[in-house]
Amino acid sequence: MLMAVKNQIRVCALSVKYNIMREMLNKVTFLTNILFMMLNNATFIIQWIILLRLKDNVGGYTMREIMLLWGLAASSFGLSHILFARVFSLPDLIVSGKLDAYLVQPKNVLLGVMTSGTDTSAIGDFLYGLLIMCIFCFSVKRFFLFLLFTVTGAAIVTAFALLMGSLSFWLIRAEMFGTHMVGSMTSFSTYPDGIFKGVVRFVLYSVIPVGMSIYLPVHIMMDFDRARLFVVLGYTLLLTAAAVTVFYRGLRRYSSSSLMGARM
Amino acid sequence: MRKYAVIYRSVLMENLQYAANIAMGFISFLIIIFVFISLWDYMYASPDDLIAGYTKEQMIWYVMITEMIWFGARSATITRQAAADIRGGNIAYLVNKPYRYPLYVLAKYTGEWNIQLPMYAMATAVIGLTMVGRIPNFHVTTLLLAVPCVLAGVTIHGVLKLCISMFSFWIEDSNPFQWLYDKLILVVGTIFPIEIFPAALQPVIKLTPIYTVCYGPAKLIVDFSMEKYLEILLVQMVYLGAGCGILFLLYEKGGRKLYVNGG
Repeated sequence: MLMAVKNQIRVCALSVKYNIMREMLNKVTFLTNILFMMLNNATFIIQWIILLRLKDNVGGYTMREIMLLWGLAASSFGLSHILFARVFSLPDLIVSGKLDAYLVQPKNVLLGVMTSGTDTSAIGDFLYGLLIMCIFCFSVKRFFLFLLFTVTGAAIVTAFALLMGSLSFWLIRAEMFGTHMVGSMTSFSTYPDGIFKGVVRFVLYSVIPVGMSIYLPVHIMMDFDRARLFVVLGYTLLLTAAAVTVFYRGLRRYSSSSLMGARM
Repeated sequence: MRKYAVIYRSVLMENLQYAANIAMGFISFLIIIFVFISLWDYMYASPDDLIAGYTKEQMIWYVMITEMIWFGARSATITRQAAADIRGGNIAYLVNKPYRYPLYVLAKYTGEWNIQLPMYAMATAVIGLTMVGRIPNFHVTTLLLAVPCVLAGVTIHGVLKLCISMFSFWIEDSNPFQWLYDKLILVVGTIFPIEIFPAALQPVIKLTPIYTVCYGPAKLIVDFSMEKYLEILLVQMVYLGAGCGILFLLYEKGGRKLYVNGG
C-alpha cells in the first residue's frame, strides 16, 4: 500500500517536472511569463496605497495584513496552478471526451488528469506571494504558517475547482457557471473580509470557500489560535474528500466521445 | 469598406446566437460590482462624505461604468486569436486575403462588443438602480452625449490591445504585455477616478490610455460638463489616430519579418 502511494507521488512529481521542462523550452518566454506575472500582481500595491491614504484601515486591515492577504492568495492560487492546472479545464476534458486518454493509464485517474498541465505564470504568483510575505510581515513562525496555509489554500482552491468542474458530468452548461464560481474566489480573496457583512460573509465561509482558504489563515497568522488552525485543516480534508468523491461518482456517468487524439 | 461590413455583420450574427453565454458572464460582473460596492460602502463613513469631489453614489456608478466598459470590450479576437495567428503562422494565409489584417480583426472585434456592451450596459443600469440608486443630477441628454465617448473608448481599447498582440511578430508570447496593459486599466483606471491620485500624478495619468478608455466616458456620465466633454472627445480622436498609425506601422514592420518555410 505504502509502496503504491510512493509510486503514485513519484509519477505525479515527474509529471509536473516534465510539464515545467516543456515550458522551459523557450527560456525567454518562460522567464518573461514569471517576471511579468510578479509585476502584474505588484500593480495592486498602488490600489492599496491609495485606499489606505483615504482611511487608516480597510475592513480592519492595515497595509501589513493586506499584503499578507494578497501574498497568501497569490501563493495558494500559484501552487494550485503549478501542480494541478488541468483541474481548471476539467469541464472541457469531460464535455469533449478527452478523459479517455487518462482512463487507460495504469495509475490514479484523478491525479493523472490534475498533474498533466502546468501554468507557467503561476510560478510568478507563487514566488510573489512568498516575496511580499517576507518583505511586509516576516517572522519565522509566520513564515512556516504561511507555507502551511499556502498548501491548505492550494488544496481548497483545487478541491473547489474539482467540485465545480465535476458538475459537467451531469450538466453540460455547468462549464461557465463553474468557471465563474472559481473566478469569484480570486475576486473575493484579494479584499478584506471586514468589508463584507451579513449573509455574504456567511457565504464566503461556506459556499465559496475563501474564508477557510484565505481569511481565517490570515487571522491565524496575525493572532495565532490552535483551535482555528485545526478548523482550517479539518475543512481542507473534508472539502478534498468531498471533491474526490463527487469526481468519481461523476466519472461513472462519463462516456467517451470517440475523440481521436495523441498526448505528447 | 463593404467587405469589413460583411465581416462585422457575420460576427454580430454569430454572437447573437451565443447571447446566453454572454449573459453567463454577468455572474463574474455581478461579483466584481458587489465587491466594489462593499468596498466603497466601507470607505464612505457617512453617505454625505465626499472623496476627491465624488459622492458615494457617483463613486460607485463611476466604478460600475468603467467595469461595464471593461467587461463589454472583452475579446479574445484582438488578444489571443491575433497573437496565435501571428505566432502559429496562420497570418501567412491571412495576409493574402483581399483585406488588411488589422482592419479584419477590428471589424470582428466591433461585431463582438456591439452585442456585449449593450448587454452589460443594461445589467449595469439594473444593478445600479436597485443597489445604489439614481446618479445625482443625471439627465438623459448626458447619456446621449456620452455615448460617442464610450464607443470611442472601446475602439481605442481594441486598437491598443491589437498593437500589443502585434508584438508577437518579434517576441513569441505577447501575453505578459497584455497583462500589464490590463492591470494599468483595471487597477488605476477602473477603480479610481483620476482626481483621487496625488495632484502631481494626475497630468501623467491623463496622458495614459486610462483617460480615454475609462475615465473620460465614466466621468461624463456621472458628472457631465461641456468643457470636459469637448476635451475628452478631442483627446480620444488624437489617441485613435495615433493608435491606428502605430498599429499599421507595427503590422507593416512585422509583416516584413514573415518568411515561408514551404511544406
